[in-house]
Parts: sequence; C-alpha cells; structure tokens
Amino acid sequence: MDSAILPLPEPSFLPCMVTALAEGNAPAISPALTLTIACAVSAIALVFLMRPGPRGVRVAATVGGLAAFAVLVVEVLKRAGSGDGLPPIFPVVFGFIGLAGAVRMITHPRPVFAALYFILVVIATAALFLLLGAEFMAFALIIVYAGAILITYMFVLMLAQQSPTEQDGGAWYDRVPREAGSAVLLGFVMLASLSEAYFSKSAQSFRDDVSERTAVIGANEAWERLDAMPKLMLTTAREAFNASWKPAAPDTPRPEVVEVVRNADGGALRTLGDTAGVEVRLSDGSSQFVELTAEFLPDNGRQVGVDLVSKYPAGLEIAGVVLLMALFGAVVLARKQIELGEDERRGLAGMRRFTVEGEAGGTGGVR
Amino acid sequence: MNPIELASIQPDFGAALLAAADAGTVNMALLMSALLFTCGLVGFLSRRNMIIMFLCTELMFQAAALAMIAFGAVHHDVSGQVFVIFILTIAAAEAALALGLIVLLYRRRETLDSEAWSELKDA
Repeated sequence: MDSAILPLPEPSFLPCMVTALAEGNAPAISPALTLTIACAVSAIALVFLMRPGPRGVRVAATVGGLAAFAVLVVEVLKRAGSGDGLPPIFPVVFGFIGLAGAVRMITHPRPVFAALYFILVVIATAALFLLLGAEFMAFALIIVYAGAILITYMFVLMLAQQSPTEQDGGAWYDRVPREAGSAVLLGFVMLASLSEAYFSKSAQSFRDDVSERTAVIGANEAWERLDAMPKLMLTTAREAFNASWKPAAPDTPRPEVVEVVRNADGGALRTLGDTAGVEVRLSDGSSQFVELTAEFLPDNGRQVGVDLVSKYPAGLEIAGVVLLMALFGAVVLARKQIELGEDERRGLAGMRRFTVEGEAGGTGGVR
Repeated sequence: MNPIELASIQPDFGAALLAAADAGTVNMALLMSALLFTCGLVGFLSRRNMIIMFLCTELMFQAAALAMIAFGAVHHDVSGQVFVIFILTIAAAEAALALGLIVLLYRRRETLDSEAWSELKDA
C-alpha cells in the first residue's frame, strides 16, 4: 500500500532501501537512520540545484531529491500507522506541490518568478490547512499572503529591480548563491534533528490521542468557551433541542426554547462525565436538559472568533499596536529626505522669511 | 492504488477534504512544515538578493503556521488557528518594515545585493 503513494524512483538509486520499503519489509537500516540518510541525500541534491550548472547535473539532482522526498513520505506515513486505510493522497499531493514550489523559489535566478513560486507554496499550504480542518485560516492565508503581502513584494521588485537585459539572465547576485554548501549543511542538520524529534517513536505517541475520546474532550472545551457568549449559546441550544425533540403524541406542537437556565455564577454549561449540555426553559413552562454534542458546535470561523476574543483579548490588542507601529515605521523609513535651506524651513513653519521674493531662494514666502 | 480504487473515492472528494484530520495527514503536515522551514533557512542564508531573503523569512512563517495548525488538529483545539492569526499579523508588519528598509537601502547603493553592505559586519 505504501508503495502506491508516490511513484518509486529508479532502482539504481538507493537500491537496497527503496526495494526494502517497496516490499514492506523492515529495511536493513534502522528507521531513524533512514530519515537521516534521506535528509542528507536531499541536502546534496539541493546544493547542486542552487548552483548554476549543466542541465544534466540539475536533472540528476532533481531525481535524487524526489527519491529522497518519496522515502521521507513513505517513512513518515508508516509511522502514522495509517497503512490499513486509504493512504492520505491529498496531503501527499499538496505537500509535493508546496515543496516543489519552495525549492524552485530558492533556486530560481529571477526574483519575480521566485515570488510567483511563493504564491504556489501559499496555495499548497492553504490546501493542507483545509485538510487539517482549519477552513477560516486557509482562506485568510490566501487573502493575506497571496493577495496582500505578495503584491507588496511585487511592487518593491518593480521599483528596485533592474529588469534583465539581453541574454545575461539577470543580475549576477541572483544567479550565484553565497556559501550554498554550508547553508544547506546547516539547514539539513536542523531538518534531520527536527524530523527525528517529530517522528521518533516517543514523539509519535500523539497519534493515540487522535481518537474519539480526544474529540469529545476537545468539544467539551469548546463548549466551555462558548459559554461566555450567551446569545450564541441560546441559538445553539435551540438548534440542539429542535433536532432532538420527539413529540409525545402525534399532534403535539413543538415548544420553543425561551431561555437557557444559568447558575448563580452566570455559567450555563453542565457536564456529566463526558456529556456536556444545558438546562433550557421551554415555552410551555417546563424545563429540560439538552445534550450538546460536537455536531452542534459552531463552524470553524465562528469558533476561531470566540476563541480569539474570549481567550486572547490582550493578544488581539497587542497585534493592533504592532500593526500601527509597523505603519509608522514604514512611513518613517520610506520617507525621502529633502535638504531644505534655513529659509525654506522658516517658510514652511509659517515664519517670516529673510529673503525678499524675487531674490535667490524666495519662491513666494511671507514678505 | 489502481485506477478503479481511485475512481471509487472521487465522489467523496468533499467528504475526504473536510473529514477530521487523521494521523497520516498530521504527519504529512509536520513533515511539510519541517521541509518548508529548512528551505526558508537555506534560502535566507545563501541568496544574495535582499528581497528574496525576506521572501524566505515569509516561507519560514508559513512553516511555523503549518506546525501550529497541525498540532491544533491533534489536540482538537482552535487555539492553534488563533496563533496563526497572530503569525499573519507579525508577517504583515515584518513585510511592511522590511520592504521599507530595502527601498531605503536600494536608494543608497543602487543594488539589491546584500554583499554591498558587507562592511557593516564586524571585523
């Protein structure tokens, strides 16, 4: 099953490891070492991709990098223990698109194309956000990054970049990287240790948490936050009640939820074990306990909003201050310094000028 | 996967897209976040064009945001997504300031090469 995720590279490349993985056997090398070796191979490939070189070398480096990426993906998915079900094909596809965009971005000699490849990375990341259930942030990312920040970069490129003339293919400093070898070495030492930290056996214990039980606990925590929003709680309780209501006799009209009963401290949520719910008062005078399950939780955007204002109000304010300071800073930095003489400064300040109009420097000031 | 299997999952595209994240998706997102961060770091260290260097810092921001969302999905907690809002804020502020700086530096030296400012380093 694992071998179906990505087309496996030629058997000539890393033969023993690839064939062992394709057959599903435990490879002769230990799994931790496999990750490290794949990282090292992709590092070497990246060095060759960053330097200007003959076409054959670049193609070989691309193939080697793809093979290393395939090994990484197979190894990482194996550790997730999702070998029995369908392989997560969409994450792999979007991950591949994002990685290809990122590599092309740091290797492309033309800055405008690098910026365009970055948009590709943003879109692939947004797709991964969608797959992880973060719909609001996915679209916010596309709007803010691809729509706003990248346009600013494009403007600055337009202002500051000399367009490449004739056949030289752009400026010298865009074509030749600086210290590519040591930069890649540093980056991939970090990548190897990071992947070991993420995907070692002890770190992967979180996959036992991705279970129904955690989902219930997470939903109950979300209900607790929602408890601070009385109006939203009332509409949600109404929805939950309407969905769960069954008439005692066939022609009984359905009573309406009038209000949510609140404790002395203002909270309405009651939890019995894993069950969360609220007490509601109905229009026929009776009251009833309505169970709140995860399916009645508000949509993702609303949950993010509730979390933002109920848990992180100070962070929200500070973010506003940071944006304001960035605005001032950008204005101060980009302002052009104009040399003014003593006399012009007096004129601008509304004071009387020394020179009379018509003489040198006098351009219609106060007489 | 053979073509028949692939065709059979096509109608469920929306459902597959919006289903709760499983461990494979989370692992893939974590791997992507590590790889994107590495690419950003390598690009920042080895490119000479100052605009590309700051574009690479944006790449590292992306990687951090992806890791936040992935771990938020593990814990069924939307706080990870709220942190991404803050990351976006900081990224926007950083882009505005960095680009202002770059325009300023470009006006002084008429080049985007970061080596033009290498006399700023000590020794």
